[in-house]
Amino acid sequence: MKDILGKVVNFATQKREAEYVEARAQRLFKTMLTVKEGRVEAAKQGIENGAALRVLVKGAWGFASVGALGAETLTEAVSDACKMAKAASSRLKVPIKLVEAKAVQDKVVLKPRKDPSKVPVEDKINTTSSLSNTVLGYDNRVKSCTIDYLDVTGTTFFMNNEGTYIEQDNLYVWLGVSATALQADVLTSSRDAVGSTAGYEVFDVETPEIVGERVAKRAVDQLRAKPPKGGTFPAVLAPNVVGTFVHEAFGHLAEADFTLSGSILAGKLGKRIASNLVTFYDDGTIDGAFGSFKYDDEGVPSQRTLLVKDGVVTGLMHNRETAHKLAAKTTGNARAKDFRVEPLIRMRNTIMEPKDRSFEELVEGVKFGYYFKRFRGGEANLDGTFQVGTQEAYEIVQGEIGEPVRNASVSGNTLETLLKVDAVGKDFELWPGICGKGQSAFVCDGGPHIRVKEVLVGGSA
Amino acid sequence: MAVLKPEEMLSLAEDVVSSAVKKGADEAEAYTYQGLTTTVGIERGQVARSSRIIDCGLGVRAIVNKAVGFSYTNVLEDKVAVEETILRAISSARASKPDENWLGLPPKKPLGSVEDTYDSKIVELHAEDLVRVASVMLEAAEQTDKRVLPIDGGAGASYLSNAVANSNGISVFDHGTIIECSLATVANDGKNVTPVCFEFNAERRYDIDPEWVGKEAAKLAVSALKAKKVETKGSKVIFTQFALQQLLYYTFINAVKADYVQRNQSALKGKIGQRIASEAVTIYDDGMLKGGIHTGKFDAEGVPQQKTLIMEKGILRNYIYDNYTAKKEGLESTGNAARAGYLSTPAVEATNFHIMPGSRSPEKLVNEAEDGLIVYFVQGAHSSNLASGDFSVVAAPSWKIEKGEVTHATKGMMVAGNIYQVLANVSAVADNERKIGQLVAPWVLVENVKVIGK
Repeated sequence: MKDILGKVVNFATQKREAEYVEARAQRLFKTMLTVKEGRVEAAKQGIENGAALRVLVKGAWGFASVGALGAETLTEAVSDACKMAKAASSRLKVPIKLVEAKAVQDKVVLKPRKDPSKVPVEDKINTTSSLSNTVLGYDNRVKSCTIDYLDVTGTTFFMNNEGTYIEQDNLYVWLGVSATALQADVLTSSRDAVGSTAGYEVFDVETPEIVGERVAKRAVDQLRAKPPKGGTFPAVLAPNVVGTFVHEAFGHLAEADFTLSGSILAGKLGKRIASNLVTFYDDGTIDGAFGSFKYDDEGVPSQRTLLVKDGVVTGLMHNRETAHKLAAKTTGNARAKDFRVEPLIRMRNTIMEPKDRSFEELVEGVKFGYYFKRFRGGEANLDGTFQVGTQEAYEIVQGEIGEPVRNASVSGNTLETLLKVDAVGKDFELWPGICGKGQSAFVCDGGPHIRVKEVLVGGSA
Repeated sequence: MAVLKPEEMLSLAEDVVSSAVKKGADEAEAYTYQGLTTTVGIERGQVARSSRIIDCGLGVRAIVNKAVGFSYTNVLEDKVAVEETILRAISSARASKPDENWLGLPPKKPLGSVEDTYDSKIVELHAEDLVRVASVMLEAAEQTDKRVLPIDGGAGASYLSNAVANSNGISVFDHGTIIECSLATVANDGKNVTPVCFEFNAERRYDIDPEWVGKEAAKLAVSALKAKKVETKGSKVIFTQFALQQLLYYTFINAVKADYVQRNQSALKGKIGQRIASEAVTIYDDGMLKGGIHTGKFDAEGVPQQKTLIMEKGILRNYIYDNYTAKKEGLESTGNAARAGYLSTPAVEATNFHIMPGSRSPEKLVNEAEDGLIVYFVQGAHSSNLASGDFSVVAAPSWKIEKGEVTHATKGMMVAGNIYQVLANVSAVADNERKIGQLVAPWVLVENVKVIGK
């Protein structure tokens, strides 16, 4: 592979006037299962080989992607990419430049205890079947259970014209499970996920029984939940919700492409935007975490990037283009879902740092408010308006956890809300997820419990 | 660049089916897919990139003893890789348990004809042509107002083709084109940044208006400046197509899929023939719609697409089915199987979800809203409760309507409720239908929507 990519890179610089060239290639193998009420809808296995060629010509990006790995096809494709770049450069006002990155030569070999590509499909079917049985057997009000299992193994290759060549083993294991429960006219749903870059051994910890009970119990408990009141209330957020809040409400705005587009973090570097209890970082180096990797898709080493320290913005997440534009250092956040697409600035494991308070201390000061335990989804806008929907939440009444509430969602302005964080817990949890920004990316979000003086709660009906 | 011809896609699919049956599959189906896409991208006010993506592949379903196995590959030029893919589909089926509800692949049926799904002009476009489209759009936005920054967007042209063959004699090929341009903008007046505003135009024929897209995206952003908070109360709300598409996609559209109904995940189970929406609402799932984004001769299993009445003046009439869910009830597929290219097995999906327009102009609708709101986009619809239809979302950008006229943008506003309550409270439907994703719809006016402001 090294020889072929080398030829292609040289061709673009020597014959096609490319200022910068990178060639990414992948040889990946996937297994997927979709299981509905214990029935395997289809056991799926597939091969995805392909290459992505990205070039800078006259200051504009050109990109070509092909599902092939032969030298001739790739040379044609890189030639195509140069043509595309030239076309794009015709109306360019500000040429694109990249920040310097150290040339790297490396081979990343993974040695999982249980390599998913060596686990027979039958075993994977058994794991999902016992998960399904746990969920459906938990209570007769549980009516459906859907499981999506995915594992990815294989190797990706990266070469550029600056002397970098990297071969990197890939390993991802993902399982998403959802359940619905029904009683009289009330229909509830819940979902949960397992994700790892360590190996199939993740199911030794997140066993089908543990995960199954978690998701089934939540669906059943919600049957007796009531809708929340709409309005402004104090709130305690659990790690799972804090993680989503950090990711959605802050993280996306700290992706330098969004910051440059005018997100509310533009021009905030070095300034206070949050209470001094708030420290955020994006860390791609946590062993086995779903958002970890050694090199990003521009060949830049992943790292732990401090974003907010004691309430002050200290950094953004970059690719080489935005790092140059904002005179920053590389952070290794450029990720492409596969060979079909260009890398974008993406998060890895995005985290709020724990402090010193116990859960009881967080709750005891609240006369009436809400405890948001488990997120369903979230989204933010560049103006800092965020929304995080929850699948599990409770009232807090006179400092005690009270009745469950259904489908509550939290909203507000990110910066106003971060200034209202008035207590941060000492616990910590990290949860896997799949983030969508045009392409999907495997990530983790996490943090401790926190308390916020007030948030807008959108009650249903 | 190597591109597969129609007859090559068909013969590959047919060969794979007969090979799979020879290798021991009771039934087999092959799906071949090819996508060629050229795009140019706008980043922060300039055309800065262009790309060409070629993606071809093969997906094989093999059935052994009532168990389904699936395998795919994008390595098509290598005979060995294709043979291995067939064998993996069979071995996946053998590793699975039999499914008593499996009643066979779909039978062969004659296909209907569809209009305006292919335009050779789109196939012949070069990156330079798309650069021109994007530039027209950019200039239109910039000339509209200096406070507008076009942050993201571009233009793209795609040629897509697919073929399906199965062991019941289905052997079909179709191809189509799409061209689109889009622009996301924010406005900044030195004090305030607006939420992201967005406009786009996508068509199957080379008939898009980039100048209109640029102007509208800019006008939206400017009018989103100077936002004010609103009161928390029940209010008349006009939902535009973008907001409707988001709210319906995660709730109602799933609820009419037979898969969700059969598995007790749909609030519409057992509701055929019942009133679930106001009389103003009539909906078809129309896989034959002229020029529709999801129009095609056949679905992902080779079954003819059709026009299915979903809701007639508020009465629920039909669910939508693929082959598996239809046979489970002793019915016939409504041609609603879809796939994500060659990578996935078929699943039930809407085609063009068509809410029939009314006779009122949008201006008249605003007038009728009196003291209300108009919601363009919503944030967080994917956190809706799929099962119950409950939603709770941020509505931005949105505008206040006072005395029947749009007055100012709103700030930090949420709308919450239940999608079925919303459908029941539709009091009027406008005549301004347009295509957005799966949805083809006009603006709708809904009474008494819960708005959470300050």
